[in-house]
Amino acid sequence: MWTKVFTGFGYWDVVSWILFFLIAAGFMKFIRSLGRSDYKKGTDQDEIYWSGNPVPEDGSDITVPASSAYWGFRKALEPYYRALTGMHTGIATDIVGYYILIVALMAVLILIV
Amino acid sequence: MIGNGPFLAVGILFLIALVGIFTQKNLIKIAMAIAILGSSVNLFLVALGYRTGGTVPIHYLAGEGGPMVLPTPQAMTLTAIVIALATTALLLSLIMLIYRHYGTINVDEIRRLRG
Amino acid sequence: MNLNEHLPALLLAVPLLGAFTAPLFSLGGKFLRNAALLAATFLTLVVAFLLWRHVSAAGVAVYVMGAKSAALTLPSGMKFPIRIILEVDAFSAFMALTGAIASFAGALFSLNYMNRFTGLNRFVSLYCLLTAGMLGMMVTGDLFNFFVFFEVASIASFGLIAFWRDKPEAIEASFKYALVSQVASMFILVAAGALYGKYNILNMAAMGSVLTLGTLEKVALVFLVGALACKCGAFPMHMWLPDAYAEAPSGVTCLLVAVSQASLYGLMRVCFSLYGVTLGSSFLPWVIILLGLASMFFGVSMAVVQHEIKRLMGYHSVSQVGYMLLGLGAGLLVLPDPAALASYGLTAISGGIYHMFNYTMYKALLFLTAGAIYYATGTRDLNEMGGLAKKMPYTTFMFVIAAAAISGLPPFNGFVSKLLIYESVFAIHPALTVVALLTSVLTLASFVKVFQTAFLGPRKFSLSGVKEVPSGMLLGMTVLTVAIIGASLFPTWTLSHLVEPAAKALVDQGAYIGAVMGGGM
Repeated sequence: MWTKVFTGFGYWDVVSWILFFLIAAGFMKFIRSLGRSDYKKGTDQDEIYWSGNPVPEDGSDITVPASSAYWGFRKALEPYYRALTGMHTGIATDIVGYYILIVALMAVLILIV
Repeated sequence: MIGNGPFLAVGILFLIALVGIFTQKNLIKIAMAIAILGSSVNLFLVALGYRTGGTVPIHYLAGEGGPMVLPTPQAMTLTAIVIALATTALLLSLIMLIYRHYGTINVDEIRRLRG
Repeated sequence: MNLNEHLPALLLAVPLLGAFTAPLFSLGGKFLRNAALLAATFLTLVVAFLLWRHVSAAGVAVYVMGAKSAALTLPSGMKFPIRIILEVDAFSAFMALTGAIASFAGALFSLNYMNRFTGLNRFVSLYCLLTAGMLGMMVTGDLFNFFVFFEVASIASFGLIAFWRDKPEAIEASFKYALVSQVASMFILVAAGALYGKYNILNMAAMGSVLTLGTLEKVALVFLVGALACKCGAFPMHMWLPDAYAEAPSGVTCLLVAVSQASLYGLMRVCFSLYGVTLGSSFLPWVIILLGLASMFFGVSMAVVQHEIKRLMGYHSVSQVGYMLLGLGAGLLVLPDPAALASYGLTAISGGIYHMFNYTMYKALLFLTAGAIYYATGTRDLNEMGGLAKKMPYTTFMFVIAAAAISGLPPFNGFVSKLLIYESVFAIHPALTVVALLTSVLTLASFVKVFQTAFLGPRKFSLSGVKEVPSGMLLGMTVLTVAIIGASLFPTWTLSHLVEPAAKALVDQGAYIGAVMGGGM
């Protein structure tokens, strides 16, 4: 087949994947069409339910900000992230320092091995 | 032994420049260290151009005997000097703008971008 | 006169001409200046395409500057080349084509994006100069000349990163980049000088034919690799990269992505064509693989916690460069072993090179969409965005395609190149693939975060006046989207016509040397 990419251990065929996505989209459409369309418009039935409270007008009151996303992930890996962000001091000479350090290490090691 | 003198000078200048970059906090001094770094490399290139027993690559007025030396290192040095001039000028003008925005040229205090 | 013969020189002449005539065109007003920028980048793209077609038909193209004929590498019976020689093999031509596409898309995008600002004649000059420097790094066959183009690209990019000079952060980012880049370039010059002092040659092909491994060569190799790895943003020398990418105007970031690929190209040229099998031990390949793994993992884990859109993408650049270093390092590791090279080494190199193309396309597109969001909303902070999908449908569509491609979701091109890398480095050690897969998962996670916070969610009052960006910017993004979709739908064509010739050219040191030294190798 002209669409197959062989990797030496397996292959990748783009057309069969696109077919798969089309079939999956068909299923999705079918499941969606099973939903009810006989609800009463303009009543409470098509209102947003927000724990029984009135929904705020401005969207920024109800969104989770991006810096809170993956809070648990960050909390669980806090020591790792403290070390990693501590490395990024933002001082210009530190950046040069890391560069010189790596070059010096490589230069010493390549002469030893 | 004395033939290695220029290379010794190159090494010392190179180290002075690196030490300057890491120990100085003043951005102007760091820019000076970068300029010294460039000069040491240029000195290295010029020193490479010397070949024992060679003559200048000019057809008339050339010295007696010996093969002519290829003037490539000199051409390289001139190019490198021009480049070093441009970057030094650019670094200094960036430092000027940094001073205007931050009110300081201490390298430890110019770190709004981090993390 | 045969035009094909002069294509390598034209590739540099066109953007250089654009750079130096831009102030002249600017006298004629805004329209003429914009036309000059577009014409210069578009002509460069055309020349790059013609050059690529010429090279894939006729093999390595050599251009000797100032000689009687373009292919006269060894004048009057000399044993080694003396003039400046441009040498373009399939890998160089492939990289030049990729870079030229990114340059054209960035220029198209910048027309509308920059029109709120003054001083644009300088912008056009620097933009063309950066393109010329980048292409020069890709086509030159001379180590010192490489340094010169490297510096041309660096100096132009310092100016472009600090283009919004009333923003303190832009100046800071530019200064940091300038500092580390200057130190790195001095190391390149030392290495070039040391190699010249020993072999009296600067031409990479000629030097590769006589190179024997000693202490001097080892140290020069480390200096070259360190400097170029720093310039393409390998961990832990990457810290200038998110700053610079975030603060540069978006059209420029799009080009800077391609410029970092030029550094990666230089790294590979030095490792494969200059040293090749003379590398001796497997130390340096492992260093490149480890740099790649560290860049991938630490880069992406920094990206997950960012909340500034372009900075987040900047950290992704670090992690994506890791994939290419991994693939190409794996290829370099098995270079002396023909059996392993044929069974998985060449696949790894193909994967790395294919990823270079894909990465340039989708990362450039991502930076352009980030720029479009900044243009429309005036903020780069994800915390202040939300509900943009309804207001900017085209941008959203292109962002989704680019994000899916970078995360390696199946139908897109990012998946194909990542698959090639996964399945080939697995043969060296399964742990390499594990890290690469984990990186891919985290990449998806952080782009889900960007998509969810910027494009989905309820409408915000602060963003009520947001409109879709002008058509020029959309057109710039469309160029890259078409490239991504094309590479996704026709992976076999892309692989067999673009990538595999490049991979074979990179591995074939003899052909690279033979083109200059007259095949007598």
